[in-house]
Amino acid sequence: MNLEDTNISYQNTSLCYQCAKCSSGCPIIEEMDMLPHQVIHLSSLGLEERVLNTETIWICANCYACAVKCPNDIDITGIMNKLKQMALDKGIEPKRKDVYKFHKTFANDILKRGKAHELRIMGEYNFRLRRPFKNVLLAPKMFLKNKLKIRPPKAVKGFRHWIKILLRKS
Amino acid sequence: MENKKIALYPGCSLETSSSHYLKSIEKVFEVLELPFECMKDWNCCGATSVKSIDQRLNLMLNLRNLALAEEQGIKELVVPCASCYHRLVSSEFELMKDQKLRKELNKETGFNYKGKIKVRNILDFFVNVVGLEKISSKVTRPLDDLLVACYYGCLNTRVPKPMSFDTMEYPMTMDKITETLGAEVVDWSYKTECCGASLFITVDSISTKLVGKILNDASLREVDCITVSCPMCQTNLDTNQGKVREVFHIKEPVPTPFITQLMGLAFGCEPGELGLDKNFEAMKPLS
Repeated sequence: MNLEDTNISYQNTSLCYQCAKCSSGCPIIEEMDMLPHQVIHLSSLGLEERVLNTETIWICANCYACAVKCPNDIDITGIMNKLKQMALDKGIEPKRKDVYKFHKTFANDILKRGKAHELRIMGEYNFRLRRPFKNVLLAPKMFLKNKLKIRPPKAVKGFRHWIKILLRKS
Repeated sequence: MENKKIALYPGCSLETSSSHYLKSIEKVFEVLELPFECMKDWNCCGATSVKSIDQRLNLMLNLRNLALAEEQGIKELVVPCASCYHRLVSSEFELMKDQKLRKELNKETGFNYKGKIKVRNILDFFVNVVGLEKISSKVTRPLDDLLVACYYGCLNTRVPKPMSFDTMEYPMTMDKITETLGAEVVDWSYKTECCGASLFITVDSISTKLVGKILNDASLREVDCITVSCPMCQTNLDTNQGKVREVFHIKEPVPTPFITQLMGLAFGCEPGELGLDKNFEAMKPLS
């Protein structure tokens, strides 16, 4: 796989000498089906299918612990994100659909008005998951403190028009 | 023309689930005699979600914010949310590092971002722009009896290296502010450990575990509270704390005030003025 193919998150995975500091620093390592240093290793060998099919790339919390620990400054977190996008581009079904659906719901929501509507995101996410009662106990608690707004935020001036043209272009 | 203004990029959560953070910032700015102004027409930074599935769109959303801030004459863009800060400062870094990319995205988005603004984390702003002396001069009710664990979370300090304002492994900016307020800070092991907020909604079993470890370490050190500066961390540490404490057998609640709420208390403001009534785990009244 050619990870250097793009100018966004340019990375040279061949710098990795498998010290595994990334894996030892990862706070959710026990939830992964492939360790971060193995992801980097396979990526640099071009064995992409085996990386794109992992839960690891989706479950990564994006906390950058791996990236700051890397002695060769490889942005491992950035690569995890690139791999997610690569999986989607190749039509590979995300191994953790629950995580993917959240990201998709969030992205769709903010593109509507330019700002996130938290209640709607939570509701729509549950609908997409077909699990209407997930996190349902959080909602009343948050309502009580007026932390969830029923009304969506006011649309950002000029945003809709801007994003419409932009998405048409790409 | 040179940009001069200081303005805030509040981000989505400060307008809704963490409006108490914004309230406390506004109050603290008032006491410190700083002009309080939010940048106009900002959009969501995309957070972890957009960059996970579309990295180009993530850059364009942030370029729009940076370019608008620049057009509005802003010099210092102060960002309280660690997630927004991480997105904005990383995008600033990518765009300034790669001129070709900047040119291309400027053209595509119809903006003209030149790089005249400085994205500042709110902790960086308090310590390096406002200054600890000024903060100290406003303290009227020192937090003498308070033992505090300062929690930075993951995204505040883990930015591209040339952009960092504090050490990544063991940051001290928030500790310095807290000490200036008269409180005592503890050395602890979970300062920069991720709380799993990005998985709070999706895989809550993971975020419960991560929050548990953080609360547990703080609680063993018998702190009065964990202070935070990230609204994602605050929501994650606070909202479900009862359940987490049950799983981890932690007896006493651990309040998680924002650093600006602590500042406000030390400045003599009333808890209500700082939105402290919106925190789930309440602080004990100060003596």
